[in-house]
Amino acid sequence: MSRSGNRADWADDEEFDDPSALPAQQVITNKDGTKTVISYRFNDDNKKVKVTRRIKTTIVRENVNPQVAERRSWPKFGNEKGHPAGPSFDTTSVGENIVFRPSTNWKAQAKEAEKEGGEKGSMKDQLKDKKVKCRICSGEHFTARCPFKDTMAPVEEPTAGGAADTGEADAGGLGAGKSSYVPPHMRNGGSGGGDKMGGRFEKDDLATLRVTNVSELAEEQELRDLFERFGRVTRVFLARDRETQRAKGFAFISYADRSDAESACAKLDGFGYRHLILRVEFAKRAT
Amino acid sequence: MRPILLSGHERSLTQIRFNRDGDLIFSVSKDKIVCAWWSANGERLGTYNGHQGAVWTVDVSPNTVLLATGSADNTVRLWNIKTGDCVKVWDFPTAVKRVAFSPDGSQLLAVTEKRMGFLGTIAVLDINYGENLEDQAAEPSLKITCEDSKATVAGWSFLAKYIIAAHEDGSVSQYDPKTGDQLLNVQVHEFDHQINDIQFSPDRTSFITASKDKSAKLLSARDLNILKTYPADTPLNSASITPKKDYVILGGGQAAMDVTTTSARQGKFEARFYHKVFEDEIGRVRGHFGPLNTIDVHPSGTAYASGGEDGYVRVHHFDKSYFDFMYEVEREQMRK
Repeated sequence: MSRSGNRADWADDEEFDDPSALPAQQVITNKDGTKTVISYRFNDDNKKVKVTRRIKTTIVRENVNPQVAERRSWPKFGNEKGHPAGPSFDTTSVGENIVFRPSTNWKAQAKEAEKEGGEKGSMKDQLKDKKVKCRICSGEHFTARCPFKDTMAPVEEPTAGGAADTGEADAGGLGAGKSSYVPPHMRNGGSGGGDKMGGRFEKDDLATLRVTNVSELAEEQELRDLFERFGRVTRVFLARDRETQRAKGFAFISYADRSDAESACAKLDGFGYRHLILRVEFAKRAT
Repeated sequence: MRPILLSGHERSLTQIRFNRDGDLIFSVSKDKIVCAWWSANGERLGTYNGHQGAVWTVDVSPNTVLLATGSADNTVRLWNIKTGDCVKVWDFPTAVKRVAFSPDGSQLLAVTEKRMGFLGTIAVLDINYGENLEDQAAEPSLKITCEDSKATVAGWSFLAKYIIAAHEDGSVSQYDPKTGDQLLNVQVHEFDHQINDIQFSPDRTSFITASKDKSAKLLSARDLNILKTYPADTPLNSASITPKKDYVILGGGQAAMDVTTTSARQGKFEARFYHKVFEDEIGRVRGHFGPLNTIDVHPSGTAYASGGEDGYVRVHHFDKSYFDFMYEVEREQMRK
């Protein structure tokens, strides 16, 4: 065999699919008029990636001046010469959404917004003075960094029953008393740690309202207007149907402040909106 | 509204113009390049290459056939908009700070800088739109010399009846475009506060000035009466009158040389919207992180573009709340 070994035999090509070849693009027309395009490509790591795209074509008719229509067909020139049609990413991008609503008292509104920001700042200042205190040894470090973390229970935490002293002794020093090793999470009856992660509530859930029985025709902006009366709304999520883009009948509203959320919940539960009566309650945490 | 960011320039923007149909935007900056963009999606149509210095000014002929640019390389260039070719170069002794087509497009004015012993001038050039666009007059048909204070910007009034020029000393003057005589000169802004921009209303009977003295004024083109004053808290670089809704948009900010020492918030790099008639400030649009150098409004009033010292052009297509806003008196008027 004088041929170089790593080159595949030409005869093999017939029998094995070339692993570097990509399957052909598939286009499926769906019942609802959309198209599903399945294509394959290689990513940066040279791995094969399947890309499934659902494309909905909407034809928007617009009447323009014939001169404008004629200009539309102009070829690109100068530095853009030969570039394909459509905006190019290196020169054109879309900025973040700007809410611009003209009003005569916009200055007062802006001031209010600034004040809110200022209050937040002062809150930060308040927290700045707080000292870090370990719950285990009361030292000036985070509990998680405590050198006695694995050997001692938090001071304030009441240990169950009268077995407190003995339990601590048992779990304590290596080899003292019982000789078997007790993993940290099993010490103190298994209540040592683990369930503290993230707190009982996610921060967001604290002030999030779940609104149900929302009209199909509702708009996010309308809901925002409605709920903004009670305080600063940080997020409005209106569930929509993927196909029809109509509201599914429920929404989530997050407030910056829980007290605002509470007042909104009290006032708007049972509120008539569009033709339906809203039901507003605090969102339960997703499990 | 989601602005479209156009980042085709490497240096600060100097002027932006929409064409009369509003489908194209032309932007010029200090980086010698002239860009043409589709206003609807921000796609770049092309660039006009050839200037050797910072390009200070641009204007589109009303029929969107020719583009005029004025630059610090002491030339005015005329471009074929469709192909991107330069069809004519006029040389001047000093830099050209402003070019403007007359309402019918048959004339072009060019404001030249006062420098190196040359006085500031306003030159008027005749423009031909024949088969051969390169066939243009070699010399200006008129030259107005500004002896007192140099003109910084200029434009044409209704029916090209007057040339309106704004000066470095804060005054505005009216010239006869046939004889070149100065008809009026009015000190409208504080003395020695340069006027950075004038833009006309769609019918060109009134125009707005933007000055370093932190105010913009609406003037009538016929007698240069001050109709309205819009006070701001920062030096202004540009002002524009919006069609469809009676607003004006002002842009400015800290002088470019002070920008690095101030934060974006203090710099006041916002487009300010005022009601044209009531003179109230009705809102601001943030986004630039440098002073706004130039603003232009879509001729149908549905969008505006702003160019900043930061090198970005931001095109904003207004949404419904912009058109819905009305004063109580306007609403009452509507009901009647």
